[in-house]
Amino acid sequence: MTAGFKARAAEALADPVLKVAVERTAGTAETKRAAAVAAFEDFEAARTRAAAIKDHVIAHLGHYLEQFEANAIAAGAQVHWAETADAACEIVLDICRRAGAKSVARSKSMLGEEIGLPHALAEAGIERVETDLAEHIIQLAGERPSHIVWPAMHKTREQVSTLFRARHAEPHAEETIAAMAQSARRHLRAAMLGADVGISGANFLLADSGAVCTVTNEGNAELSVVPPRVHIVTAGIEKLVPSMDHAVHLLRMLARSATGATLTQYTTFYTGPKRGADLDGPEEMHIVLIDNGRTKMRDEGLAEMLRCIRCGACMNHCVVFRQIGGHAYGGTYPGPMGAVLTPALDGLAASRDLPQACTMNGKCQEVCPVRIPLPTLLRGWREKSWREGLEPASTRGAVRLWAWAARQPWLYRFGSRLAVRGMRLFGGKWITSMPLASGWTRHRDLPAPQGRTFMEQYRERRR
Amino acid sequence: MSAREAILRRLGGNAGDVADEARALLRAPERPPVDPAALAETFAERLAAPSVAASLERVPVAQQLPAAVARHLAQHVPMPGLYLPPDAWLQALDWRGIALDAAVTVDGGAALAVATAAVAETGSLVLDTSPTAPMLPNFLALHHLVVVRHETLVAHLEDIPAPLEQPRARYWITGVSGTTDIEGQYVRGAHGPRFLHVLLLG
Repeated sequence: MTAGFKARAAEALADPVLKVAVERTAGTAETKRAAAVAAFEDFEAARTRAAAIKDHVIAHLGHYLEQFEANAIAAGAQVHWAETADAACEIVLDICRRAGAKSVARSKSMLGEEIGLPHALAEAGIERVETDLAEHIIQLAGERPSHIVWPAMHKTREQVSTLFRARHAEPHAEETIAAMAQSARRHLRAAMLGADVGISGANFLLADSGAVCTVTNEGNAELSVVPPRVHIVTAGIEKLVPSMDHAVHLLRMLARSATGATLTQYTTFYTGPKRGADLDGPEEMHIVLIDNGRTKMRDEGLAEMLRCIRCGACMNHCVVFRQIGGHAYGGTYPGPMGAVLTPALDGLAASRDLPQACTMNGKCQEVCPVRIPLPTLLRGWREKSWREGLEPASTRGAVRLWAWAARQPWLYRFGSRLAVRGMRLFGGKWITSMPLASGWTRHRDLPAPQGRTFMEQYRERRR
Repeated sequence: MSAREAILRRLGGNAGDVADEARALLRAPERPPVDPAALAETFAERLAAPSVAASLERVPVAQQLPAAVARHLAQHVPMPGLYLPPDAWLQALDWRGIALDAAVTVDGGAALAVATAAVAETGSLVLDTSPTAPMLPNFLALHHLVVVRHETLVAHLEDIPAPLEQPRARYWITGVSGTTDIEGQYVRGAHGPRFLHVLLLG
């Protein structure tokens, strides 16, 4: 799937509109996060604690899943388990069919994208109403999310305006972002209230109460899952937390890292379906617990990745993401966390370019609220790609040749002396083109070596 | 083997006292400091923050609540009709003079709710569903009015009392419905309330 990463990245780099759009949202997010972190005393210690909470859960995941399941069932919810994406979609479709659902309202969930739920619903002939504003925009455009928090960040206001004018019954009268948001509010409200099934993800699953926690700034999760007769939750098994107070710590970290807020506007804990005399709420609540490669990640060196709380800070601060946006990555999850997850989800052979598309500047790891060592995990994929022989023959050949030469000191020194002098033939101070270096010089100049090699200078000074 | 068994078998059993370890993770959590002697002041400051954007009115006694609500509606809500939940305590007050609506049917209306608790740290309002407290009107209304009893104010999110009986939904509202989905620009009134007015009682 990501075989065309280089082509997509080149296309993205050549798109000036995309660059403006990505910069507007990611730049704002970066500024707001910095202010929120500066205002929080001891954020570094809080990150360490957040990582420890997630590590504890991942180490005892079986225990917490069983505890959560028992409490959710006691509250009247139905709990389903799925090992794969296809099995998860089949469970959701089966619930929809039994409910006689013609339409579902869906509140943004990256897991839903990961398991291909939008496509599965379309194939089953069930109308899908995306209620998150950004998801609504990309549904109208027929596109995929380009960011896990701002799925439509690649769109400019002008592009959104054109879409809404073409597709909304009563579009905005003036060209402001506020008026466009109002247009979506008018358009989506009736659709939400008329849906047969509401589908949401989960930000946290609380083991000691069986509650499902969702957070949104728009309030669309609540409007999507309270009116319909059936509420389906699709959740990754890593979303467990022991208790409410553990969730509280992670909620503080999530909001600050994602949007710079102290807390997301709407934080809701759902425990089971409507009770006898309740005035609203669904009659059935289903929770689908989904593995889809997570147990394998835990066992094969990617347990730290299961800490991820999907805040998006790593991509907002990534120099590569800021240049190419999310679509170029080709998977469900873009940016640094996506470059770690996509090889696990889609296979390394199809995505070996992603771990390479990293400068190793370490910024993602610095801002991660749960201290995921993203550069280390990316390097792990690079090594695996080498071990499995997935690197192109030219790269393998060049590295082998270098490794051989590096083991013969006289040859290596002779070679570098030759190279340092030879390279000067291609430019005085800067080299703008040179054989075998076009991958570098096509986009930037290469400084020409000045003076002699390190070993030459070292020997001279020792004398 | 069922999917459940397969997943749990791969995850394996657990050694040691999980509960003790979980509790130890919460010892002295890092969080914004809140002066316990100034809960109401801190709460008011948080409500006024741009990301929360709620207005606040202090109401000394419950009997003055309907008049305060009436004034707010007259000043800020052009559309007549207020949704009042069938809460016995609320219904016992004298609401004559305010046009009431049995449901929020048209976008633009107002709904009133009573908070279970409120949090000074964040300016959050804690609401629980019950047979006398539906959830939907609080998301359908454009103007949301929430009554907070002064004695239910707590310092931090961890201090919110656990419910005696787990409600179907407990929801924390920290500001008005907003979105930054178009070019990262913050717009209020995305799907839910555009205006949030807190009536702090006592």
